Amino acid sequence: MTTKHILSNIKVLDFTHAVAGPTSTRLMAEMGADIIKVELAPTGDMIRGMPYFKDGRSGYYVQQNRGKKSLCLDMRKPEALNILKKLVAQSDILLENFTPGVIADMGLSWDVVHEINPELIYCSISAFGQTGPLSKLPGYDYMGQAYAGVTSLIGDPEDGPMMPMLAMGDVNTGVHATAAIGMALFHRSQGGGGQYIDCSLLDSYFHCQDMNVQLCSNTNGEVQPSRNGRHHPAVAPDGIFKGKDSYMFVIALTPKQWRGVCEVVGRPELFDDPRYATFGDRAAHLPEIVKLIEDWIVSMPSDDAAREALEAAYVPVAPVLTPAQAMEHPHLIERGTVRTISDRGLGEFQIPGMPLRFSKFTDLLPLQAPYLGEHNESVLRERLEMSDEEIMQLTENEVLVAEAIPA
Amino acid sequence: MTPKQILSNIKVLDFTHALAGPTTTRLMAEMGADIIKVELAPRGDMTRAMAYYKNGRSAYFVQQNRGKKSLCVDMREPESVEILKKLIAQSDVLLENYTPGVIADMGLGWDVAHEINPDLIYCSISAFGQTGPLSHLPGFDYMGQAYAGVTSLMGEADDAPVMPTISMGDVNTGVHALAAINGALFYRSQGGGGQRIDCSLLDSYFHCHDLNVQLYSNTDGQKQLTRNGRHHPAVAPDGIYRGRDSCMFVIAVTVKQWQALCQTMGRPELLEDPRFKSNADRLANIDELIEVIEGWITSMPSDDAAREALEAARVPVAPVLSPGEAMQHPHHIERGTIRTINDRVLGEFQVPGMPLRFSECSDSLNLEAPFLGEHNASILRERLAMSDDEINELSERQILIEEAIPA
Repeated sequence: MTTKHILSNIKVLDFTHAVAGPTSTRLMAEMGADIIKVELAPTGDMIRGMPYFKDGRSGYYVQQNRGKKSLCLDMRKPEALNILKKLVAQSDILLENFTPGVIADMGLSWDVVHEINPELIYCSISAFGQTGPLSKLPGYDYMGQAYAGVTSLIGDPEDGPMMPMLAMGDVNTGVHATAAIGMALFHRSQGGGGQYIDCSLLDSYFHCQDMNVQLCSNTNGEVQPSRNGRHHPAVAPDGIFKGKDSYMFVIALTPKQWRGVCEVVGRPELFDDPRYATFGDRAAHLPEIVKLIEDWIVSMPSDDAAREALEAAYVPVAPVLTPAQAMEHPHLIERGTVRTISDRGLGEFQIPGMPLRFSKFTDLLPLQAPYLGEHNESVLRERLEMSDEEIMQLTENEVLVAEAIPA
Repeated sequence: MTPKQILSNIKVLDFTHALAGPTTTRLMAEMGADIIKVELAPRGDMTRAMAYYKNGRSAYFVQQNRGKKSLCVDMREPESVEILKKLIAQSDVLLENYTPGVIADMGLGWDVAHEINPDLIYCSISAFGQTGPLSHLPGFDYMGQAYAGVTSLMGEADDAPVMPTISMGDVNTGVHALAAINGALFYRSQGGGGQRIDCSLLDSYFHCHDLNVQLYSNTDGQKQLTRNGRHHPAVAPDGIYRGRDSCMFVIAVTVKQWQALCQTMGRPELLEDPRFKSNADRLANIDELIEVIEGWITSMPSDDAAREALEAARVPVAPVLSPGEAMQHPHHIERGTIRTINDRVLGEFQVPGMPLRFSECSDSLNLEAPFLGEHNASILRERLAMSDDEINELSERQILIEEAIPA
């Protein structure tokens, strides 16, 4: 039977909080999965307390949790664990991103859950992974980035490393988890049963070492990739060039691209100059290359005119936009890379678009982010067939917690 | 029937080159897929010419292409298109990462492939996507990064942005593609048929804005994060601190973490110090805060001792390692985040490990990277039932190209 959306018949029990784990379930929500977000009383996911706020509602929370149901309970009460075990029995996927060991202490380790439901796919996300000497340490995005050798590659060579102002690793670890879960789902559909997935920020960041690891290993450490400010240390032109009032990336590695640069800057004879024959030769003469290109950019009527001249010659070029400038770019708007959503508390605002584009599902689902405990009653009634009396008693005993939904 | 590996029964026709696309098929190879890498005569994938080299063999190519078969054809000959159409008829997944429009010009666009094989999943990866005003432009990782507003977030606040010397976006776009393909494979297993996936560097980079887009949008542009060197502009302490001979990330954003940091530094009185009481106070006095923390780190017997003291107090901390240092870390080695592979020419060297960890199918496969056109004859014989005579004729006419394999 064909489902209505990619994950329409898939039930997810989501213990994740903050960014990495909720990114994974956010993508699943976009693909139509039925997601119960389990939030711990009294305050739930910590990013309900992160800006932007309006009347206590967090734009950050809404971005990360649209299309999920909120079940908020007090895990110190035994009834809460029983409810979760019953939900485990009927779920396809469980995700969690507590520090390793914490969910086992709560009574919902992989062993316990696998015993309850052998078909369940169980995905743990952590900073450093479930095993190894670092596994017990707490960590944010930047800890995985630093241990993976990534932070050391950002900044000026003669100065300290710098930190990027976004949690790229959290988001991409969530995508790694989604890829692994998709594989496990496909495997299960072929009769493979459930299994455990161990996903980490450190693994995902280290996985991004495209060139550096094999280069360092094959040269026995003689070549040590390092940060180099605005220009690539080994190839040129490949870096950030300064214009009149903005910066732009220009990269010309192939002979065709380098010829394009020489012609656009009005120096076609440089293409045959042996000093600049290969991208390595050009890197050895980097100050001359930088001067050549930057002098030409500022000689143009505008930075945009320079960029357009390079585009016309098929030389890879891109303006270094701020997030705000990117949000206003017609290409990002036309493709829905940036999109507008509507929330009951916040009204309309923009968030990054759905990055997984399926030709069979071009219309995005109208998803809403839940208020804390908003779906306590409906989950227990519809999923576990509990009576109104039972649910009321759990609420009175404060096993279930819910915030008021503004009118 | 349960497959031996997750993708054991899946046939992939792989037209990708360079980095983003081959990352996707590299992960699929690790999961047991049968992958034919289609390389264009005469030289094949451009990364066959990228460092490190030994006897003409590129370790970068090997890292990205283990476990794939190489079919090298001259696409200007009509026989090549016929061969590829026959392979499309029996494939499950097709990937390509040419500039949009190029593969359609070759005669193998989505419409043609979908007509031949309606169950085929067809994934295109590009810098800017298949539609929109930028779609026709060539681009590397950094072009997507710059247009997504990511590059602008790295560097000193009062200076130019800097570039990371790592192609994180290429690798993560490959993982986005994998997540989408897995969704499509699962959907197909439920009877949904084939479909097209449009994946781009720009989408994947823009997707990484965890906080910035919703903050800018909700405040109508009043608030936006900008690059800020080594320290977060909105929370403190959250940044890179200098020790005696290394740098480390220290993040103490919860009340508990800030208390633990002050206790560890032997400065409990700071908790009541009006300069540091709240996050806003600490931001307002960031220079003094940096002085306090860096003063304490350098007062310790070593940077390691300072880090260990913070670890013991469960304050998130991480040394900023170079890729070379990360490759020697016992945690990375124990978990296989870094691993050693063996190539027929290069011998043993290290590459990043498999970042998708499954409890079933956990043994790493013994994969080899192909020489150019190494599998021309076996693919045509086994997949298309061609005779030796037919294959020889195609080789003699140089429709099929292969390099010599060293003895």
